[in-house]
Amino acid sequence: MTLRRNITNRGDVPALATWREQLLDRRRFLLGLAGGSLASLLPLPAGAAARPLEEADRWDLIARVQDRLFPSEPEAPGAREINALSYLQWVVGDRNIDAQERAFILQGCDWLESLSRERHGQGFAALDAERQEQLLESIARSESGENWLSTLLLYLLEALLSDPVYGANPDAVGWRWLQHRPGFPRPNQHNRYRAG
Amino acid sequence: MAGDFDVCVIGSGAGAGPVIWRLTRAGYSVVVLEKGPWFKREDFSKDELACCRRSHYTPNLRDEQHVLEEPAAAGGWLATPTGESKRDFWNGNMVGGSSNLMSGYFHRLKPRDFRLLSEFGPIEGANLADWPISYDDLEPYYTMVERVVGVSGSVTPHPQQEPRSNPDFPYPPTVEHPVSEWIDEACRELGHHPLRVARAILSQREGSRDACSYSGYCGSYGCSTNAKGSARAALIEPALSTGRCDLRPHSKVYRLESNAQGRVVQAHYYDAQGAARKVSARIFVVACQAIESSRLLLASPGPAHPEGLGNRSGQLGRNLVFSAGGAGSGYFTYAKLNPRQQEQVRTLGPFVNRALQDWYVIDDPQFGPDPAKGGTIDFLFAHPNPMPLANGVRWRDGELLWGKPLKRKLERWFSEDRKLLFEVFCDWLPNDDCHVSLDPSLKDKWGSAVARVRLGSHPHDRKVGRYLADRGQEVLRAMGLDWVGASVSTSPPPNLVAGGCRFGSDSQRSVLDPDCRVWGADNLFVSDASFMPTGGSVPYTWTIYANAFRVADIIRQQLG
Repeated sequence: MTLRRNITNRGDVPALATWREQLLDRRRFLLGLAGGSLASLLPLPAGAAARPLEEADRWDLIARVQDRLFPSEPEAPGAREINALSYLQWVVGDRNIDAQERAFILQGCDWLESLSRERHGQGFAALDAERQEQLLESIARSESGENWLSTLLLYLLEALLSDPVYGANPDAVGWRWLQHRPGFPRPNQHNRYRAG
Repeated sequence: MAGDFDVCVIGSGAGAGPVIWRLTRAGYSVVVLEKGPWFKREDFSKDELACCRRSHYTPNLRDEQHVLEEPAAAGGWLATPTGESKRDFWNGNMVGGSSNLMSGYFHRLKPRDFRLLSEFGPIEGANLADWPISYDDLEPYYTMVERVVGVSGSVTPHPQQEPRSNPDFPYPPTVEHPVSEWIDEACRELGHHPLRVARAILSQREGSRDACSYSGYCGSYGCSTNAKGSARAALIEPALSTGRCDLRPHSKVYRLESNAQGRVVQAHYYDAQGAARKVSARIFVVACQAIESSRLLLASPGPAHPEGLGNRSGQLGRNLVFSAGGAGSGYFTYAKLNPRQQEQVRTLGPFVNRALQDWYVIDDPQFGPDPAKGGTIDFLFAHPNPMPLANGVRWRDGELLWGKPLKRKLERWFSEDRKLLFEVFCDWLPNDDCHVSLDPSLKDKWGSAVARVRLGSHPHDRKVGRYLADRGQEVLRAMGLDWVGASVSTSPPPNLVAGGCRFGSDSQRSVLDPDCRVWGADNLFVSDASFMPTGGSVPYTWTIYANAFRVADIIRQQLG
């Protein structure tokens, strides 16, 4: 097998969040045995049961993680330039998105914050860039942590490449950076996808 | 027999459109019950989020799902609800069905596809059967599709070419990509016979339908010019102008009620508000896509059909077929091309439109002692949607990538090269482990049992797929492409599905009679891909359209 790129050949298959595919592998079950929760499948590390963050603090933390995942550069847009945070807020507010996935995105914030306090005695926001990066590398080594980061990246890349009608990729900054040519006609406020 | 309408059609895709079009034109009243919404031309755009990342054209899996059964490592079958796995098994649910979203690669079946069993003999473990009709019976309807739906192309003589009654297509070929000639050259050097693929896409304006605008974004997307020959644009919208078509979107039929004689008397459905309603008609036509058609009939027992409508033989839902095969790819590396060639490869919009059918029948001692059924290799560029490409960039050797390394890799992957694909289409051998049943516990949002689909395949399919994929890779290598590879899969593509209600001349071994009338229910027809006992080695849509025109003629005679 010499395929360089391990991606689907079919553009019409919605690419699943990778954690879901992993979940599927471990989670094929006979009907009737359902009922497991995400938390039981993705056990949080010890010490992660700290009190949950306030909503605003969660989003503040996600914004900082997004800055690490997709940093702003003079020649290339970062998470801020593509409105990745407000895009993710729109995604999380969409009832059509799998409820477990939405919960997982928010739950991961509490987990990362707890880990930060456990390791460094302070919250993620207070850490310098190097320590933030180390912490992300650390959680990426656990399956659930990697799943969380890859889910954030999934929606970050959606924000980079979706039509500006959704509020992300403003002024086609992502498309222009990667010299992507969109198709026409582009969506408008009447025919775009609507969150549930 | 009186009724609210002459004909009630359930579904509105490629299997329904010809029936609706033909019978309204012939003066009959037709009510169409379509589960999905009615998107019109202006509702479609090239929006990746709507087309491909969210359930915009398909049901939300929370509301309606499937249960898929696949072989378990330890033997037996494991069932997974798609609401859990997120492996979406829906195709377009809307007026016009998934024909709105097709790429429109149009191939006819070949005469031998109608008699796979007698031409090539039995295969152990495969339920092969000859069709009760021949290519000659369907040929006039293939021709009708070319004109009425609109097929653009030009006939390429080649050794496996099927006979046709008109010399050429009614519309000239769609504009072709510069790379198509390169494929031709490589194929001819290898001694093959590249052929121009016809497309159900108008190359010229016709009535209210505009010509293709060559946006470069076709398959998976609804068409904004109505050039694509969807059942909606080509058949249903014209039928509405007769004033005899009552089109009811958001109408989910959950049961067909039949009487002691076995005849269908009413269709029961839920409207957009969820209210239970019913409609009566002289003739009923089911065309909900193969899986859902079997599901509806199984969910509709009656006094003369205790095990489901048309299931006296026990064959209902059985012998479901997909399209077997696989896909391969290679890359044009821009740095290796001169500026002129680079510009040619970067061209976005025109179609590749090339296929090989040199191995539609494989006559190669390396493959087997006797000639065997092979298939089609179709060439195309990778879909221009950027998100699948970007999502692949996230990973490096199984490790998640982020930050500046991710961004540098994105820059490379979006600028260095362009991916050319080939797809292999070969027969999915019908077998006892590929079928539809009603799930014993999971229900949809209306309270009806969802379809449970067993996805067993025959090992022979993989052998054929591998043989064809090897030939496809030889072509890509001859073109000088980089990173040539292929994969052959037995995981079925949900957009190419047929069977479940196979037609035949023996009522004990089929669900439909040769007219696609349900055995024992003489006013009920199934006109989608469900009728096919074997699927052939090409995409199904042209054959679905053609057969539905044939069924429409039969219904017209029966209505008198």
